[in-house]
Amino acid sequence: MNVAPSVAHGGCAQHRTDSLLRLGLNPDKWDILVALAGNPNVGKSTVFNALTGLRQHTGNWPGKTIARAEGAFAHEGQRVKIVDLPGTYSLQAGSTDEEVARDFILFGRPDVTVVVVDATRLERNLNLALQVLDITDRVVVYLNLVDEARRHGIAVDAARLEKELGVPVVSGVARTGVGIDELLAASFRIATGAARTRPYRAAQLPAGVEATVAELTREIDAAFPAVPNARWVALRLLNADGAVVEVVRSGELGQLGDSPGEGSAAEPPPPPPPPAERERVLRTARRLRWTLPADFHDSLTERIYTAAQRIADGAQMRGLKKAGFDLDRTLDRLLTSRWLGFPCMLAILATVFWITIEGANVPSGMLAALLIDNVHPWLKGLFDGVGSPWWLSGFLVDGIYLATAWVVAVMLPPMAIFFPLFTLLEDFGYLPRVAFNLDALFRSAGAHGKQALTMCMGFGCNAAGVVSTRVIDSPRERLIAILTNNFSLCNGRWPTQILIATIFIGALAPAHLSGLVSAAAVIAIAVLGIVAMFGASWFLSRTMLRGEATSFSLELPPYRPPRVLQTLYTSVIDRTLIVLWRAVVFAVPAGAVIWLVSNIHLGGASLAEHAVTSLDPIGLLIGLNGVILLAYVVAIPANEIVVPTVLMLTVLTVDLAGAGSGAGVMFELESIAATGELLRAGGWTLLTAVNLMLFSLLHNPCSTTLYTIYKETRSARWTTLAAALPLVIGVAVCFLVTQVWRLVATA
Amino acid sequence: MVDPALALLVFAGLCVALAALAWPGRGLVPRWLRMAQLGERVLLEDTLKHVLTCRQTGQGCSVDSVAGRLGLSPARATALLSSLARMGLIRMEPDGPALTREGSRSAVSLVRTHRLWERYLADRTGVPAAEWHEQAERMEHALSPEQTDALEVRLGHPTWDPHGDPIPDASGELPPSPGVSLAEVDPGRAVEIVHLEDEPRETYDALLADGLVLGGRLEVLGRDAGGVRVRAGGREWTLDLLASRNVSVRRLAEGERAEPASMTLDAARIGEPVRVVAISRACQGPERRRLLDLGLVRGTEITARFASAAGDPVAYTIRGALIALRRRQASWIAVEPAANVAAEVQG
Repeated sequence: MNVAPSVAHGGCAQHRTDSLLRLGLNPDKWDILVALAGNPNVGKSTVFNALTGLRQHTGNWPGKTIARAEGAFAHEGQRVKIVDLPGTYSLQAGSTDEEVARDFILFGRPDVTVVVVDATRLERNLNLALQVLDITDRVVVYLNLVDEARRHGIAVDAARLEKELGVPVVSGVARTGVGIDELLAASFRIATGAARTRPYRAAQLPAGVEATVAELTREIDAAFPAVPNARWVALRLLNADGAVVEVVRSGELGQLGDSPGEGSAAEPPPPPPPPAERERVLRTARRLRWTLPADFHDSLTERIYTAAQRIADGAQMRGLKKAGFDLDRTLDRLLTSRWLGFPCMLAILATVFWITIEGANVPSGMLAALLIDNVHPWLKGLFDGVGSPWWLSGFLVDGIYLATAWVVAVMLPPMAIFFPLFTLLEDFGYLPRVAFNLDALFRSAGAHGKQALTMCMGFGCNAAGVVSTRVIDSPRERLIAILTNNFSLCNGRWPTQILIATIFIGALAPAHLSGLVSAAAVIAIAVLGIVAMFGASWFLSRTMLRGEATSFSLELPPYRPPRVLQTLYTSVIDRTLIVLWRAVVFAVPAGAVIWLVSNIHLGGASLAEHAVTSLDPIGLLIGLNGVILLAYVVAIPANEIVVPTVLMLTVLTVDLAGAGSGAGVMFELESIAATGELLRAGGWTLLTAVNLMLFSLLHNPCSTTLYTIYKETRSARWTTLAAALPLVIGVAVCFLVTQVWRLVATA
Repeated sequence: MVDPALALLVFAGLCVALAALAWPGRGLVPRWLRMAQLGERVLLEDTLKHVLTCRQTGQGCSVDSVAGRLGLSPARATALLSSLARMGLIRMEPDGPALTREGSRSAVSLVRTHRLWERYLADRTGVPAAEWHEQAERMEHALSPEQTDALEVRLGHPTWDPHGDPIPDASGELPPSPGVSLAEVDPGRAVEIVHLEDEPRETYDALLADGLVLGGRLEVLGRDAGGVRVRAGGREWTLDLLASRNVSVRRLAEGERAEPASMTLDAARIGEPVRVVAISRACQGPERRRLLDLGLVRGTEITARFASAAGDPVAYTIRGALIALRRRQASWIAVEPAANVAAEVQG
């Protein structure tokens, strides 16, 4: 083990190391451990980026950092490790996020905890800061967004705040880097013990409760003399905090006391008190808890907020700017107005989608021309040139390469346009207003207004949509959003819909109307998906997810000018490339399987032909055919390659002379008419086309999305449900459409 | 090709069969699961708990009361009681069955599991209040002592269940339930509800439907043979005697108001500041914690800013931040006009 915090804590270094490993920190070397705490949406991630230079995506959203981010940098010859804790409103350990943040500050014993505070909402942010001060002495407060506060007519007196809180307060603007150097210097002074703090400890409770707390505090002080804040421990015990009960029982509490920078290497940690004494503390706590009033928890929160309010009132001056033109209010009045709210929303979102579709056409075509029409034959030639056997070049070039190239060509351009646009809206602060406007609609289906946004993300890519559900902080509503995201028609499925609608449905209308009719058909499918999403949400919230915990809240952050360049950079890196990488990882084995099933022969026919023959009866029953079903099975990694696979398999099974590029080689035809002829030769009718469009909307998510769902929920059960729910609906819908269609046709 | 009419018929048949099997509550599978649960052990445990309840409340306990409570024939009830006696858990006394030391330990441990589970449902899940009791009735037989202990640790050793009953700790001590019955309170007194009995279900549902919650306050106006007349939330109504016996209350000191506020946040007008008086006890668990953490504590000033395009939710300025609350959440928050408070302080 190479963890070696060298500055302090000699005696208990090993002990702390164990705690940190238990908390899931990467075991690498550092000299100073910094924790970053703060409310959601105060620019914590921006501070993190400013300190580390890492480009973590920061959004104008409450609750961005769900997974804890770690970073490292060197400063003044010291190796600094910095941990970005989840943004929380409090440390009462009521939710997983709060537990993670609290446990890290308490048990990870960072050398310094930086609390990022939003100067525009000082009072509420101080609530968390005061709770951190209750736990540890080693705190620096970073007063962020002072520029925004000034715009809103608020000035904060940092010196006064520093005096009240008893810890260093540095004010600045993280996004432009103001105050970051000072923050670093102050943090180093605290971490190395060059400066001491006298943290503010919140005041009296109601009289009866105060006596109870005092009694327990005395007992803890007697048993654990080294504990810096016995009163806090007493309050946590009275609040029955399981983690704190455990450290008292194990005696570990005595070692959590930190005395910064006193060369404590020489000073061994005090031995834990005997078990009997520890148990006595816990017994007293249990006895005293019966005497507490029912609103004890409420009064604790009240106490901290009262202190926060007093301190904030003393340290800030509001209303400096006379109520003149308030941009935020004006924008809100427009964007959430009863008459203009929805039209504005539709116009903005429609523009984003239109830019995406129009803008993606050209680069998509260019990528396809490059990767599929040029590089593929070139690679093939290369392999043939060196005399490789047909099966090797087939497997590698026709199978693996081609599937991957296809996914990249279809997937990359729309995502690289859609995600930055969406992120700009998010950065600006508009998306929370969309959630606000649509909440009533989603609430009636048992869902959260923010699901409107994860649904929109799903139109880009379902995997990205599932990741984006992190902004929903209520467990039940988040699960609903994850499980129903697949009902958004993702951009891997749009081309399929457009192609099939053009060939089979557009052809029904007179020539000058055919474009309009086929577009209407595709939009009808997308709308059907939204209807299915609402239906499924309603069903899930009343059955399987009925008992999941729920806690609605929606913060509307102030509008902020979006940072265009940074958004471009982070949304391409964070969202597009990560999702694309996952898709490629899954496309490689799919390409291999597609090629193999078409080229391994068994008793005179390929595996694919056998599979198609045996799947045909089921396929026909639901108005599809064996080729389509097999394509959906082998092309599960990405919806983009379903149509090329269908075409290849059709040629393979129908045995059309001269068409296609050979067994296992996916292809698309230049002309739509030729594609239509090929499909009709494969036995397709209008009914097949309608059912394919329905099934393309209503089937299991692609494996990239399923993997993402598993990563987000950590549950095989929910992942299975996410796959089964749309598949069952899809099969049932296709079956009913087919049978009713045939019934009507024969009648 | 399969005849479409036949195919649709088969499909409809399958749907009906599936519904008959799995329909929540009434389907064959849920019924079968319930029957399987109602095994011998469950009946014995329920009998034990019934004896404990009778002895605690001072009601008579007999073969008939057991049979009535569990919905069994008197013969079956007699058999259960004698099984328990053979196991040394109860003894027969002149006034009916009574618990032995061992029996009392077992019964209290059942009560403990039951109340812990109710606490769990209230604090950590979104299961509605009316269903807590029934789910806990099932879980009390299903959890092992170790699982119960683990649950207690996970919940942080809670002291009270969500109905206001004390939760016995692992040592088996069962503290008495607090308060006096609402039926015994003299007219003219203001009271605070400390316990709502969750059995029988119909009475409990009626209490919930009346808007009675733990920690809620009532004013007792009158009492006669028909029941108790009460006032709360600007509304007067009569609770019949059976219902009022199921409500335990604490008498408030003279001068304490029964109704702290006449207004909830959802009635606040746009732009007019109000001050938080209390969050209703009907709001529990994660939802309550979230509201508190947002800074909605007693004395907080709130101003409604604007409604969403659909009218609900409404955005409020709460401690400097713009927070949207749904109407249901706002209706939990009792408020008073902020201007009045200022006037009182000055005057």
